[in-house]
Amino acid sequence: MRAEVSSVARGEGGTVNHVSGTATAGNGGDFDPRQAAALLDQATQQARRTFTPLTPLLFAFRAVVVLVVFGGFWLSVRGQHPYTGDISGWAIAVAVVLVVINVGWTARAIARAGTGVSGPAQRKWRAWKVFMVAAWIIGYAVTAPLYHAGLSHPVWGLYPASAPLLIIGLASAAVGAAFRYWPLAGASLGIVVVAAAAGRPAGSWLITGIGLCAAYLGIAAFTAWWQRRGMVRP
Amino acid sequence: MTDELDPLIHVPTRLRIVVTLAALPDGDALTFTRLQDILGLTPGNLIIQLRKLEEADYISSTKTGSGSASKTTVVLTRKGRAALGAYTRALRNLLGGLDTDIAADTDANADADGDHVAF
Repeated sequence: MRAEVSSVARGEGGTVNHVSGTATAGNGGDFDPRQAAALLDQATQQARRTFTPLTPLLFAFRAVVVLVVFGGFWLSVRGQHPYTGDISGWAIAVAVVLVVINVGWTARAIARAGTGVSGPAQRKWRAWKVFMVAAWIIGYAVTAPLYHAGLSHPVWGLYPASAPLLIIGLASAAVGAAFRYWPLAGASLGIVVVAAAAGRPAGSWLITGIGLCAAYLGIAAFTAWWQRRGMVRP
Repeated sequence: MTDELDPLIHVPTRLRIVVTLAALPDGDALTFTRLQDILGLTPGNLIIQLRKLEEADYISSTKTGSGSASKTTVVLTRKGRAALGAYTRALRNLLGGLDTDIAADTDANADADGDHVAF
């Protein structure tokens, strides 16, 4: 198998010399196929890193955040009902600090990756971000107090402690499906299944922490693999 | 089997431009200044390369505003995305062929060495 080019371009200037022949290295300065493949893979990896706002490092940080935050909550309300037990002040303080760092880091990463980018996918991404923020707010800021106030609900009745996780997991799965980002969709559905199967009041915070931590680590690993994957030689 | 490497893309600078734009979702555009920052090119060089790609309908550019507030955005067209796909496939086929050639050469050399030792 031998590829042929009808013309071989030389140098950065892009002057095209119309010569027929094989696309292997010829005279000095030729852009041979091996160099082209290496450059294509390198440029692809650089572009993916540039335009991917949520980096593997950020996902790994989030894995630590959810484990520390939800683990802290679990430690402070062990033996009590998750929403009626008193979460200690230190656990809330640690959670606030970590969440603020996470929000700041995420906002900066999204702003940096989206600089100079516009188009339909960007608008779609912005809409889904609002959807996910709403899911988190509904999941924890609204659902838990309402449950605490004694309101009955079919979902809370079935899964009182893991209702927030079910809401956020399903929302996250919808986002993953909308962007055909199947690792996110799969991990989110996994969280939903775990929450539905194992969500009991006593361990709800810990299950949430471990489930989200595992999901974030999985997504971090996938993102790192995807960013390093080459186009010519995967 | 003969594959052809698209001469328009088979230039380092233009290959980097097309690959960078292809990393964006279909239809999304990038400003000229951001593209220049990412690639580390001079404006003049980038304009020359973009013009060649635009003449082939691989990219399209849009200029909005005027004067110092003007902004030029560049987007990879479907034709450009398809061309990059074809180029990548051709490169894979070519390198597969080259690897096979190298392996055959290596085997031949090994056989020759073996013969030499036997003698």
